[in-house]
Amino acid sequence: MYFAGVDIGSTMTKTVLMDTNNKVVSAIKGPTGPEHRQLANEVMKMALEQANLQLDDISYIVATGYGRLNVPFADRQITELTCHARGVLSLFPDVRTAIDIGGQDAKCMKINSGKLVNFVMNDKCAAGTGRFLEILAATLGIKLEDLGDISLKSTKKVQISNFCTIFAQQEVVSRLSEGEKLEDIIAGLHDALASRVAGLARRLKIEPDVVLTGGVAKNAGIVKAMKENLGCELLIPEDPLLTGALGAAILAKERFSKATAKGEPIPTKPRRLEKATFFTKETS
Amino acid sequence: MLDKSKGLSKAREIYQNRSHRVKELKAEGKKIIGYPCMYVPLEIITALGLVSYRTYGDIAEPVTEADKALPTAFCPIMRTCLDCALKAKDDFLDGMVAIHSCDPQDKTTRVWQSYISYPYFHLIDMPGTLRTQSLEYFKGQLNDFKKTLESFAGKELPSDKLKAAIELHNRQRALVRELYKLTKPDPPLISGTEMLQVIKALMSLPAAEGNELLTQVISEVKERKDGPEKKPARLLIWSSTLDNIDIMQLFEAGANVVMDESCGGIRAYRADVKLTDDPLDGLSDYYLKEITCARTFREAVFGEARKDYIADLDSRFGYLKDFIRGWNINGAILFLVRYCDPFAFEMPSLKDYLDHLGIPNTYIEYDYTQGSLAPLRTRVEAFLETID
Repeated sequence: MYFAGVDIGSTMTKTVLMDTNNKVVSAIKGPTGPEHRQLANEVMKMALEQANLQLDDISYIVATGYGRLNVPFADRQITELTCHARGVLSLFPDVRTAIDIGGQDAKCMKINSGKLVNFVMNDKCAAGTGRFLEILAATLGIKLEDLGDISLKSTKKVQISNFCTIFAQQEVVSRLSEGEKLEDIIAGLHDALASRVAGLARRLKIEPDVVLTGGVAKNAGIVKAMKENLGCELLIPEDPLLTGALGAAILAKERFSKATAKGEPIPTKPRRLEKATFFTKETS
Repeated sequence: MLDKSKGLSKAREIYQNRSHRVKELKAEGKKIIGYPCMYVPLEIITALGLVSYRTYGDIAEPVTEADKALPTAFCPIMRTCLDCALKAKDDFLDGMVAIHSCDPQDKTTRVWQSYISYPYFHLIDMPGTLRTQSLEYFKGQLNDFKKTLESFAGKELPSDKLKAAIELHNRQRALVRELYKLTKPDPPLISGTEMLQVIKALMSLPAAEGNELLTQVISEVKERKDGPEKKPARLLIWSSTLDNIDIMQLFEAGANVVMDESCGGIRAYRADVKLTDDPLDGLSDYYLKEITCARTFREAVFGEARKDYIADLDSRFGYLKDFIRGWNINGAILFLVRYCDPFAFEMPSLKDYLDHLGIPNTYIEYDYTQGSLAPLRTRVEAFLETID
């Protein structure tokens, strides 16, 4: 038996297929783009191909992420907060605080007794999300994936006082013209992002083990800045992008097994990969 | 076949077309007095034969006109109220009574009055605390309001007429409380969405007609077989204004909202005006003390910094304990609107109190736009998943 988790994030869509032993048999990541309804099918097809499976082989499918309502073949929608918490817990059993920095949002989750117990999400603006780095990388004419390594070369962080992504751009340009070094400015930008996220996390009590996930966790400069701002060690998964989809797949298995054990039928959707052509309101 | 002329169907219809009745009454020669806040003593308006009408904004209407008159980083609720007024949505009003419950309200209504000059406008001042001098001052303010409204209405308001209006509005409060008793069962007999429509309808009708509607709704709900579905979570929503069913429906997608302590819910109906010799005593006492809005500074003991934090919290929020126990509430959402300082400052204390009572809770902020509904859905669902 196999289970699937589909995580449609604002920037990236991730799919994980898992067997009954919790072994990941395939994992696919792709940029979400504006048409995530169509993309969910594509990503699922690729995941099935990679594992040499058919959609009928999947006993239960959970969709998560902001696009979770637009996955017609998903049997259930669960929020990314619960899914990330579950995914992180499976990789790091002693986790108490999980921080996910995504393309367009940041979230902090408190985990206790095997489940999500509290959470906080940023809801003010792009500062403190991946978008901040994307925009600033473009401003500086540097590739996003190179930013982290450049920041690690810095010996003197330049403080960026503006929280707003747009105003930070202006500030960066003026600091450059003042003769500040590029790596020092970039280190300052990493610090700005980390301090925003750390501020968010501090609304919950930060307790170890602390795990960092999300695409932004692949940036070594951010990891360093987060450790400094939080004042603690951080654990990072091998693939920080997959924890949501992984958690969704695990929850799919748990829900399915629980219902089977109780002898209760669990409703599932038709196993067809149809393009969702319009947004349908969730019918309860 | 749904009878739209009474009960829940009528409430739904009024919710969708709120100004219909007051426009009819205006055509009959009645004067309509708008008010933006539940602290305004409606009894004085009713007693003088005028019709009170709560002004609201509209979450579906993008704010385009208010920006020329108001700062943008500002209470979105007052902004949308003014925006709708500037788009002539309240042009049937003959006057407006505002009250200094909070700064955005009194500042916005001044701007409002400068753009749209109603024949009648009055701002009632309201002290921030519940001290003895505060009550005296507030009574004086209500007396001033009574005088200017008498002048506008062209007649004096005798004490017995005011007392009769107080009894009429008390009857409404009692009926609302009776309706809320019907959310006690599991599942509740009436949903939060339906309740919101009823309360909003009450604010769009003369008091006597509101009472009639309530009586119909109560008997309809008692008999009904098609009530809300049972959900595992029974929620308390704590909010400033909660005036739109789109929001309520998001809460109710995965839960039963059995109590909403907001200005679109029980807040203005929780207690009754005491029948005092001088009716203004009863009115000033009720409106200042009994409306549990975060704008009021409540202290357990005057002048004494309370060393016992929990005792202080209990003196401020203890009335919620009755709701939680009586309605078997197992979760609470503290629902804040952006830039609302009074509620934002009150929230951490309330959170501590709910934690102390062992009630799972979360706070969520929105900005009164359609765009804020999707993130709201995620946060509500995630919270319900934690208490699942």
